[in-house]
Amino acid sequence: MQPTQHNIAPEVLRAWMVKYICGVLGLDAATFSTSDRFDVYGLDSVEAVIMAGVMEEEFQVLVDPNQFFEYPSVDEFVNAFTSQASVG
Amino acid sequence: MTPQVSLIVISYEMKRELPRTLLSLSPRYQNCAAEDCEIIVVDNNSRERPDAASFAGLNANLQVLSCSQPSQSPARAINEGLVRARASLIGVWIDGARMASPGLIKTCLAASRLHERPVVATLNYQLGPNLQRISCEQGYNQATEDGLLDSIDWPKDGYRLFEISTPEMKGGPTGAMLESNALFLPRPLWEELGGYDEQFSEPGGSVVNPDTLIRAVALPGVQLIRVVGEGTFHQVHGGMSTSSQKSAINVVMEGNRTYMRLRGKPLTQVRQHGWIFDSRTGEVIR
Repeated sequence: MQPTQHNIAPEVLRAWMVKYICGVLGLDAATFSTSDRFDVYGLDSVEAVIMAGVMEEEFQVLVDPNQFFEYPSVDEFVNAFTSQASVG
Repeated sequence: MTPQVSLIVISYEMKRELPRTLLSLSPRYQNCAAEDCEIIVVDNNSRERPDAASFAGLNANLQVLSCSQPSQSPARAINEGLVRARASLIGVWIDGARMASPGLIKTCLAASRLHERPVVATLNYQLGPNLQRISCEQGYNQATEDGLLDSIDWPKDGYRLFEISTPEMKGGPTGAMLESNALFLPRPLWEELGGYDEQFSEPGGSVVNPDTLIRAVALPGVQLIRVVGEGTFHQVHGGMSTSSQKSAINVVMEGNRTYMRLRGKPLTQVRQHGWIFDSRTGEVIR
């Protein structure tokens, strides 16, 4: 899957991911660390794939779920995803 | 005589897999009386439909029906089975390619008696050294699987299925649960639920099974009871979510889109632990 052009600001995507993950896992966003790996919080591959789909709907972009496994924290993913936007 | 348990088993193009599944549900394998458990196979328009006569040797209380309005989704077939079921406890076996461990029926019956409104969920396993969406990409196939089953001399000791299989739930028995292939509810709860939602009309029903579990545990006053020590074991048969990583991802992505369209929110897994009923010890962790 090719990255899609978008102009999502990193802080917007980061905030959305924190809200989404904390909502799914029932976590307090105040104690959530964006540098921790997803699996530290129990976010598994099924939920990562679902999150990719929800993100697509929310931001109208294509998201390859494999990116969540390649960049397995909010910070890593946000950095990778938003830097791709400038490519092409 | 009214059976204690009805099982609705959905079949579609499972000529290789269904005989093993039905053997694993037979009275001798499950160590229960034939009259205690009726098995209703609902075939969803297989090219070669299963024939009840060919399973006569199982001495099971078994009937094979054809879905009156077959479709790509098993939801209608399940609902037709639910209408035919006579027992007070009904288990839905959405995938007829899944074999059972030998105490599954008795355990689910016992678990259902722990609460007035029980939702009894069994755990899913997949035969083979890894989840089949991974192992199939590494060469695992039906012949490999036949060899694995031979290696444990199945069906001699059905509990050895655990030795040659992989749990679907990464988080263990209390972890996040997407679905249960063998979901047991008392008849009134199935009625409250309205059965399976036939709006999930995509091939395989998309996420109709996760949807059913989510809706079941959301019914008022119910108690989720997870059964450990028993399980269902998926035989590889070209299913959409088990054939490759790519197809598995597509199933979940597309399923989530359907779910959001129908339910107005993202699909989630069931995270509540509920009670744990261990068939090996009889212990209930509440």
